Amino acid sequence: MLRFGRNEWLPGTTLLAWRNLAHDRARFIVTLVGIAFSVVLMGVQMGLLVGFAQTASSLVDHARADLWITAVGTTNVDIAANLGARRRLQALAVPGVADAEEYMVQFAFWKKPAGGNESVILVGFDQATGRGAPWQLVEGSVADLALQGGVIVDRLYAGKLGVTKLGETLEINNRRARVVGFTDGIRTFTQSPYVFTTKANARFFTGFGSDRTTYVLVAAREGADLATLRDALQRRLGDVEVWRTADFSRQTQRYWLVTTGAGSALLLAASLGLVVGIVIVGQTLYASTVDRLPEYATLRAMGAPNRYLYAVILKQAAISAVLGYAAGFAATLAMVAIQSRSNIALVMPWWLALLLALLTAAMCALGAVFSIRRVTRIDPTSVFA
Amino acid sequence: MSIVSLHDVTLTYGSGATAFTALRGITLGVAAGEMTLLLGPSGSGKTTLLQVMGCLLKPTSGTLRLAPIGPHDSPYEVSEHRHVDQESLARVRLARHGFVFQHYNLFPTLRAWENVAIALDLKGRRAGMRERALALLARLGLAEKADAFPAQLSGGQKQRVAIARALAGEPKIILADEPTAALDGRTGTGVAAVLQELAHESDAAVVVVSHDPRMLPYADRVLKLEDGVLTGDRRVTDAERARASELAHHSPP
Ligand SMILES: Nc1ncnc2c1ncn2[C@@H]1O[C@H](COP(=O)(O)OP(=O)(O)OP(=O)(O)O)[C@@H](O)[C@H]1O
Ligand SMILES: [Mg+2]
Repeated sequence: MLRFGRNEWLPGTTLLAWRNLAHDRARFIVTLVGIAFSVVLMGVQMGLLVGFAQTASSLVDHARADLWITAVGTTNVDIAANLGARRRLQALAVPGVADAEEYMVQFAFWKKPAGGNESVILVGFDQATGRGAPWQLVEGSVADLALQGGVIVDRLYAGKLGVTKLGETLEINNRRARVVGFTDGIRTFTQSPYVFTTKANARFFTGFGSDRTTYVLVAAREGADLATLRDALQRRLGDVEVWRTADFSRQTQRYWLVTTGAGSALLLAASLGLVVGIVIVGQTLYASTVDRLPEYATLRAMGAPNRYLYAVILKQAAISAVLGYAAGFAATLAMVAIQSRSNIALVMPWWLALLLALLTAAMCALGAVFSIRRVTRIDPTSVFA
Repeated sequence: MSIVSLHDVTLTYGSGATAFTALRGITLGVAAGEMTLLLGPSGSGKTTLLQVMGCLLKPTSGTLRLAPIGPHDSPYEVSEHRHVDQESLARVRLARHGFVFQHYNLFPTLRAWENVAIALDLKGRRAGMRERALALLARLGLAEKADAFPAQLSGGQKQRVAIARALAGEPKIILADEPTAALDGRTGTGVAAVLQELAHESDAAVVVVSHDPRMLPYADRVLKLEDGVLTGDRRVTDAERARASELAHHSPP
């Protein structure tokens, strides 16, 4: 609808729309601020929602497993009952399985070097395959985890955990641990930061027997159909649950977003942003239309079809939408940048930016409806009064 | 041949107890190349008649007939027997009519030439619209004011911009309701002269509603309306024209 070619600035609906806006500068600014505010509100709430979801399932998404074997009734990756370690051997015997590894996820108590306790989630992975290993390592090395009590934590939680540099020692469940690496950007949805270590160390800290594990991570053979393999494993192993990674990831996200109420709270706030936007655009555009009714009546008397009048209104809405979105999106990106240093993830993937743009367009189109209804009823004989 | 003809047209506002019949049994034809002056006391139905001719009001009974605008066009008829919606009436106005209003009704946010060009845009004639708008303004003696906004123009200048806008679409029917009512003496006769010139130079019919006796010498024909009934229809005589112009010369500027 909006083509800003040379020709477009010749008198016509675009020029009328632009001049209408530019003429009521104060009202135009209110409209833009309103749209921008609404975009920020929607963008931040939805960005938090996506960030929370990504955070909640990050352990699942980054483990590089194709299938997860969990205890029956497992609802999320952070809290799970344990399995017999023989499940790994059973899985290995199923055709199509390339590799299966134990993976431990357990709550533990972290005693800071300077004193004080924090609850953490201890993640023990198989160092040989590296499946379930920490990602985004910025300091230290995964190999050093092999040292007795070696752990890797995230920079975002360094303050909370009371550690600042490599080599610092502390206690986990009253056993000596040593920081051998830092990652940057591995967040937790629960209040307990992830602490990565080898599965041997994890057993050392938790006293978990070598016959137990939390999960078995399965890698499928090249080209295997995951749904078929899942069903085969399920049949063979019986009393466990077998998930495709994507399914377990989604289940974990759903669990945390629903049980905490975070999902609906964020969506509610985002919808509120949308409503505020529609009301502000509707209100200011309507006021501008009412002010200009004599002009619309003149156009109608001159023989303008209704769609000509609608075009003037919709272009006002569209210009407001584009400028308001640009301002609001820039502000949202700034907040994303600021937030990237905190332990709450606020993200803006491209598809969310697109969704926001569509919502802004819808907001402005809906806001224009009131004005359009008004000019539809216009009486062209009123210009003779 | 008549560009606009009305046959036994009645127009009633409202219905039931509050109904008011503003036009009764009007039969009339208006020819191209002529300026017709519509006179009558206040409330006699002049504006109403103009609106019927302008396809802004549908006759309650009787027929309005508009001559074809091209060799391939057929005449357009509005009558109580034919259903026409507002959108098709707007199309008819766009194709055939040009309007001049008492209060000019220019678009305040547009420059003079842009006001004229809007009428071209409405007709989808965007190519060369600026040149055409400027030419029309020049013809009305407003070449220097092309870039001015309406607020920067005098009443007479505004009305001339409005006339240029009405002309831009090359209408067959130009309808003006009290175009000089808000203008002082000399400015008013200037606008009247422009309208007459247009009628004579183009193949359009010009109908002007006015109370203003200064309009008379510029008209070719005078219609008189009283209580919604057409009570007079005559040509303006040369003697009248001479007398009026004499009066104009003797009156103080
Ligand atoms: N929308 C309307 N509804 C009801 N009655 C109307 C309406 N418009 C006009 N009338 C009535 O119709 C009659 C003719 O009105 P019209 O405006 O045509 O008169 P006019 O000759 O143009 O008067 P003036 O010289 O004062 O402009 C008047 O009595 C007026 O009150
Ligand atoms: Mg009138």
